[in-house]
Amino acid sequence: MVAPATADWDALAARARLVRRSKAAVLYAFLIAVSLPIILPYFWLVTIAFSARTGVAETAVLWRSMGVVVPAVIAFWLTAALAQSRRQLWTGITAVAVIASLAFALLVGPDLHLGNFIFLWEPDFASVVRSRVGEVRGAVQFPNVWHAFANSILIAGAQTAIVVTVASLAAYYLSRFHFPGRSAMLRSLLVLHAFPVLTLIVPMFLMLYWIGLLDTLFGVILVLVAFELPFAIFIMKGFFDAVPWDIEMSALTDGASRRQAFVSVVLPQVRNGILAIAVFTFIRGWEEYIFVFTFLIRNSNWTMSLYMYWVRDDVMGVDYGVVSAVGVFYLVPSLILYMAAQRYLMQMSIGGVKG
Amino acid sequence: MAKIEFRHVVKRFGAVDVIPDMNLVIDDGEFVALLGPSGCGKSTSLFMLAGIYLPSGGELLFDGRVVNEVEARDRNVGIVFQSYALYPHMSVRDNILFPLRFKKTPRDEALARVKAVAELVRVEELLDRRPGELSGGQQQRVALARALVKEPELLLLDEPLSNLDASLRLSMRTEIKSLHAQLGVTTLLVTHDQIEATTMADRIICMRAGRIEQVGTPDDLYLRPSSLFVAGFIGSPPINLIAGDAEGGMVAVNGARFPVEGASGRLTVGLRPEHLRFADTGFPGRIAQIEPMGREILYVVETGMGAVRVLEQGSSAGHSTGEEVKVSFLPENSLVFETERQKLIAGAHVRAPD
Repeated sequence: MVAPATADWDALAARARLVRRSKAAVLYAFLIAVSLPIILPYFWLVTIAFSARTGVAETAVLWRSMGVVVPAVIAFWLTAALAQSRRQLWTGITAVAVIASLAFALLVGPDLHLGNFIFLWEPDFASVVRSRVGEVRGAVQFPNVWHAFANSILIAGAQTAIVVTVASLAAYYLSRFHFPGRSAMLRSLLVLHAFPVLTLIVPMFLMLYWIGLLDTLFGVILVLVAFELPFAIFIMKGFFDAVPWDIEMSALTDGASRRQAFVSVVLPQVRNGILAIAVFTFIRGWEEYIFVFTFLIRNSNWTMSLYMYWVRDDVMGVDYGVVSAVGVFYLVPSLILYMAAQRYLMQMSIGGVKG
Repeated sequence: MAKIEFRHVVKRFGAVDVIPDMNLVIDDGEFVALLGPSGCGKSTSLFMLAGIYLPSGGELLFDGRVVNEVEARDRNVGIVFQSYALYPHMSVRDNILFPLRFKKTPRDEALARVKAVAELVRVEELLDRRPGELSGGQQQRVALARALVKEPELLLLDEPLSNLDASLRLSMRTEIKSLHAQLGVTTLLVTHDQIEATTMADRIICMRAGRIEQVGTPDDLYLRPSSLFVAGFIGSPPINLIAGDAEGGMVAVNGARFPVEGASGRLTVGLRPEHLRFADTGFPGRIAQIEPMGREILYVVETGMGAVRVLEQGSSAGHSTGEEVKVSFLPENSLVFETERQKLIAGAHVRAPD
């Protein structure tokens, strides 16, 4: 009786193993298939920026580099999944990395160049690019890209400084003090955030015109601050709510004034919240397009997004490479910022939001 | 060091009178405990002393000076919070230095004082660590050091031991008491734990619903509780309270009748479990449950007047569940309260039936 039963179990176990493995294989295949179209645009941007040449709508490099990177990523996954020990994992990863970079250097390397970043050193790059295909007239007068870069930094930076300062103080007050209309104010904070910006763009245009801030960076900064504040206050209130009263009371009995207690004891507790809203606000200002497009006119006021827009408008169809290169240049600061602040952004949820 | 006085102090939050009328004197150098269940107003009193809450009425005096309106930072009061409230972003040294920062103490002197107080509470090796890296007991010591470094006139301890484990609580109790003896600073301990209050304080103020129920030494509160509330609140396992009617020198409770001296009408009899014993005479009953507590054994006995708790010394039970026993006590150990007013009737006693 016992022997046949054991044999049956072996067969059952083998079948279960097979089912489990094929399920995993199907799942991974599906995930890889759906992630390809998501990754492709990012990949396109970077590859074309470093490889395309004027007048040639060439995608061979893109496919070749995809042909290297996609198997390399799959090989990494497999190594990570199959490795039995830390040592095997590291040798596997090193082997895959070496093979992949060799293949990349051989198949893609010869086509890479920095020529598309011509806009960084040649202000009249549009004419240069056009002249390569024999079309000279009608190029847009571009400002120096560094000027647009500085404008973007100025807008994003000033907006961040104002939002962080005002939001911290307002959120502290909302979190710690009771006053008539407090809960109504909290509710309206969220409603404010529900307005699609386009609905307000005409009245804001008129207001800026009357005040005399139309076509000034300061005007755009004020508008951005107004739009970013409600949410920043709401997030910061959650962080302040999480700071125990005891700490503050302790500081007061230790001889601090309310202001000193706020600065030296409470603010350091919400440092992560401040960093989080600072990064989000900065990136929001950096990527801003609708307001700058509507409220800024002179090309000396262009920001990176406007610069990007006009480059695309002017040389698209002639040179994808330059457009992509501007895109990469535009992208790098926010990418660096995100990577540097990742740790703090992850903690947004820890701060939490309490009513 | 300061003498603290509450004169008709009132505290209202909105329409709620948290403290209706508080009168109290704490002598210079005394160690006093404010004892009561949560929500009885003891923390509110503490925060008024610290200057965090403004009294709604009456006068609060330090050494005869009214301090109602004096800001917290000008009062020179040290607090140890239940949560310790250490500043998590500062090292232990900076935590202890913090109170001196606002007094503009010269740096050298400040550091010397930090060192001295750190040695006093034995945290001198921890000065460079962050509060997050310390154990509960160490955080407690640091909080004490921070409260003591400014040489406060009044030390306030808000449930200082409730976050510690049992064995640490025991040693901190001893330590805080010896610190008080060494420094002589007026100390107010706020606690809901009667053991903490009775073991550490010279005097206990028992509070209930914003009012002071009784002020006295631990012995006063235990042996001569002035009200049913104090009798029930102090003592573990709790006192047996038996309500009945007295007429013609006999109390009737459910079916049981026994003699009473010096009282009549509706009464509540209080008998501490350790004052009850098994004897040949007394209330007949049956042992319903046995709870060994190590040093002592708690019996729950079903008698004619309801279940009573009997505490017996010794580690092994001399009786078994279901056994028929008689419970007796010495008349002078019995307490008799008026049920209506909940007050102790001085000199009244009950006797176990023969």
